[in-house]
Amino acid sequence: MTAGKRGDGMAWLGELGRRLRFFGRSEEFHRELDEEMRTHLELKTRTHLQEGLAPDEARYAARREFGNPLLLREQSRDFWVHRWVEQFAADLRFGLRMLVVNPGFASVAVLTLALGIGVNSVIFSVISTMLLRKPPVHDPDRLMMLFSRNLGAGDVASRSPVSPPDFLDWRAEATSFSAITASSSFEDDAHVTLSGGSEPERVPGGEVSANYFEVLGVSPLLGRAFLPGEDRAGHDRVMVLRADLWKRSFGGDPRVLGRTVKVNGEAYTVIGVMPDTLRQLWMFPEQLWIPLTFTPAQLSAAGRAQRSLSVFGRLKPGASEVQARSELGTIARRIAATHPQSSKDWGANVLTLQEYAIQESSAGPALAFLMAAVGFVLLIACANLANLLLARNANRHREFAIRAALGAGRLRVVRQLLSECLLLALLGGGLGLLFATWGLHLLGRLFNWNEWSILIAEQLSIDGNVLLFTLAVSLVTAFVFGLAPAFQLSRRDPNSALKEGSRSTTAGREHHRLQNLLVAGQLALSLVLLVGAGLFVNNFIEEMRSKPGMNPHHVLTATISLTGKFYQDPAHQLAFFQGVLHRLADSPEVDSAAVTSDLPYTFPGRAHFLIEGRPASRRDSRDWRESFAGYFAVSPGYFHTTQTPLRAGREFTPADDASSNPVVIVNEAFARKFFSNGALGGYISLSPEGGPATAAELPNSQQASWRRIVGVVGDVNEYVGQTTWRPHVFVPFLQASDGSMDLVVRVRTDPAAFASSLRQAVWGVDKDQPVTNIRTMDRVLHDSGQGDDVMADLMGAFAVIALVMAAVGIYGLIGYLVGRRTHELGVRMALGARRREVLLLVLRGSTPMIVAGVGVGFLISLALPRLINASFQGWVSIHSGWILAGTPVAVLLVALASCYFPARRASEVEPTVALRCD
Amino acid sequence: MAKPIHDSKSEIPPGTLYMLILKTLEAGPRHGYGIAQRIHQLSEDVLQVEEGSLYPALQRMLIKGWVVAEWKTSETNRRARFYRLTPAGRKQLGAEVSEFDRVMQAIVRVLETA
Repeated sequence: MTAGKRGDGMAWLGELGRRLRFFGRSEEFHRELDEEMRTHLELKTRTHLQEGLAPDEARYAARREFGNPLLLREQSRDFWVHRWVEQFAADLRFGLRMLVVNPGFASVAVLTLALGIGVNSVIFSVISTMLLRKPPVHDPDRLMMLFSRNLGAGDVASRSPVSPPDFLDWRAEATSFSAITASSSFEDDAHVTLSGGSEPERVPGGEVSANYFEVLGVSPLLGRAFLPGEDRAGHDRVMVLRADLWKRSFGGDPRVLGRTVKVNGEAYTVIGVMPDTLRQLWMFPEQLWIPLTFTPAQLSAAGRAQRSLSVFGRLKPGASEVQARSELGTIARRIAATHPQSSKDWGANVLTLQEYAIQESSAGPALAFLMAAVGFVLLIACANLANLLLARNANRHREFAIRAALGAGRLRVVRQLLSECLLLALLGGGLGLLFATWGLHLLGRLFNWNEWSILIAEQLSIDGNVLLFTLAVSLVTAFVFGLAPAFQLSRRDPNSALKEGSRSTTAGREHHRLQNLLVAGQLALSLVLLVGAGLFVNNFIEEMRSKPGMNPHHVLTATISLTGKFYQDPAHQLAFFQGVLHRLADSPEVDSAAVTSDLPYTFPGRAHFLIEGRPASRRDSRDWRESFAGYFAVSPGYFHTTQTPLRAGREFTPADDASSNPVVIVNEAFARKFFSNGALGGYISLSPEGGPATAAELPNSQQASWRRIVGVVGDVNEYVGQTTWRPHVFVPFLQASDGSMDLVVRVRTDPAAFASSLRQAVWGVDKDQPVTNIRTMDRVLHDSGQGDDVMADLMGAFAVIALVMAAVGIYGLIGYLVGRRTHELGVRMALGARRREVLLLVLRGSTPMIVAGVGVGFLISLALPRLINASFQGWVSIHSGWILAGTPVAVLLVALASCYFPARRASEVEPTVALRCD
Repeated sequence: MAKPIHDSKSEIPPGTLYMLILKTLEAGPRHGYGIAQRIHQLSEDVLQVEEGSLYPALQRMLIKGWVVAEWKTSETNRRARFYRLTPAGRKQLGAEVSEFDRVMQAIVRVLETA
């Protein structure tokens, strides 16, 4: 007859409400229930009196018939709340009271935890920002990125762009997608020059299919997206802006719609503004979009080999990623069979946006190391906490013995202790989040070495992922540091604990073993962390120290990309740059100025070369792949301006122009590698590519126009920390003009202060040309470190935090242990032990744990150099031997010092005082 | 919450306590002692209820929303908590009584024929 199973469906809701209301008034509940039962007993007693019983008997009979009021009260309450819920609440209340009573302990514990959790939250925020955030499109899990895949090449080639004919074939044939769309970033780092706004500007922009925004599922803030057909030639003079560009360049004026704006010299009408949430590091960098159209050449058979498009597809309802991948693979095999000359060995690949972001980010190893480092910090914090708790619990043995004697179960005691830990961890986590906000702010300022890192910095924040992560870490932390002490305490036999006097000299040998183990672990962890940090810092210092091969000080650089039809004529390009160089040379602050197609310490374009008199190597052979060199077009005076030493021959002169004999200058690495007996006078021919070309895409036949080698210059790196010199070739820009060049200006004053003069010099020649990327050469070097300085800073900071925590932990533990032994030490001294002997006695006690910790840490850290080497390219670890050997010594010293001070204090106590102490 | 309300010492059939309480409240609000008295009276002292066990039962009925409680002054001029049947309680009483009847009839049938 189980009542209540029936009843209407919503009954539980009312029940829940009544239960919840109970929580606010549980004391009132007890008072009322007690009063009610008392009244009942009184009435009953009175009835019995009326029946003629004696007063005592009447009371006794009433009680007997009533039952045990205490038990009944418990039963009543149990109906309202599950027992454990209430116990938990009581535990938390009690825990809070314990913390308030002992504010010293509480603040040390919470601060330690906040630090440990805070650094984890910071690093996790970076991970979340770079890898975990959902892309800013509608239903991102159903939006796929479609790639060509070079079956013969490695990982990067599995995410190759797609050629226009392939894209059109895929779009026509694939049935797993409801729609497929393409975008194409502009050449030259995907920037376009925008004029018509307040100042000429270069912004990242792209060409997209008409259905692009529809497939992404992003609606315009203002105006409209592209219409079908607007990606056909003749209808394509329309553009869409992103809100941040709109605000920056057009003041957020809604009348921008219908305005005509020049993009790369062509006029476009603004039709819409997209929200600036549409940005993501690897997929959506564009700030403006124009329609994507294809030329007949792009759609020809040869065009199938020109892979340049990013392709997105939205999965049809019911279709899966796996299905789409296999379908696209089939289509690609068909294409490869029918167009072998362009598509042999090419397949297709499908990835979700998030998979792509994770694969594309090269930050994986760095993030993994940082996460491990902060994990270590947190573990050390936990060990400290555990030791603090063990020490404090030792003083609470009696309390818990009494609890146990009164009937508290062992689990009940563990639960109470864990609740206290939970409280600490949650407080620590909360404070840790505050720390993390502050830390992210600092970190954001360090993320400045290229535009990607700046974009990351802009997006760094504590998001939902981070909040969840922090909560989870706090909870786990509570168990990690709380479980061992709790069980240790609950395991003790209450009987002996009650009897045990506080004067016991050998109290809890067992938990001292645990404490020693924790300290040894801390030492091992911090040693590993310190070695790791040492290696990263050493790498960074070596990079900074490595000889740049030129003089980067007092040099200002800037990028100019000429746009518009006028500047497609090489003569106009040359005239422009020469005009700018003349103006700069006239300035009294300028020592010398030059232009170059690529700056030192940025990855230069590459050129394939042939050497006269030697057979051309077969395409794709090993020799062929070796026949590439960094390619620079430079103006006369470039080597003088950068102070790159001339080793042999001569520099370029203004006479090395298009009408004179083709010449080339090579660097020492080139000369050494390809001309063992002197490069001067040798002839080579070059076929440069726009960017770092993949070997597969270079043309096979080269028109041999032989250039005579007229000079050999010193080697300059392509990035800081580069371990081997790469061969470079330099041609006179008068013989190989280009519309996009970098200015290099050596000034006599502060180079940064020269920026506005530099801009004026450019605008004096043509006021419509934007000047971008104005940086000092020192800055270029720094930026080429790709954040190695940040890595060194962070690892160093974490290691220092770890060591300080570990030292504090040891200091606290020894202090505590010595404190417990004050009486014993007093006895020893009273019996004639000398201070020195007491000191040694204490030190000797802690030596094993220190040696063990340092030893284990040392063994683990031996693996670090190899691990780091395998994870990071261009790693410089000159002094790793010294770091491996020296760091353990340093940690040993810190550990001994942390023992020494409390030990000495113990040895200085007067025996009489010590004996009285208990 | 499926614990038995009273232990084996109870002399009323298990599970019928709710029904008895609900039934005594059908005539009007009563306090705890009044409910116990009423059960004694009506059963002519046959049914022995451990009186205290009324209170956990009443708490559960409060949670279920079958009764509501209100502090009032009793006829003997003392403060007491009066329990009143709600419509849900009335429905529950009907359900319990018919269930009880069904079971009783089955038992009686077994006793008569076996």
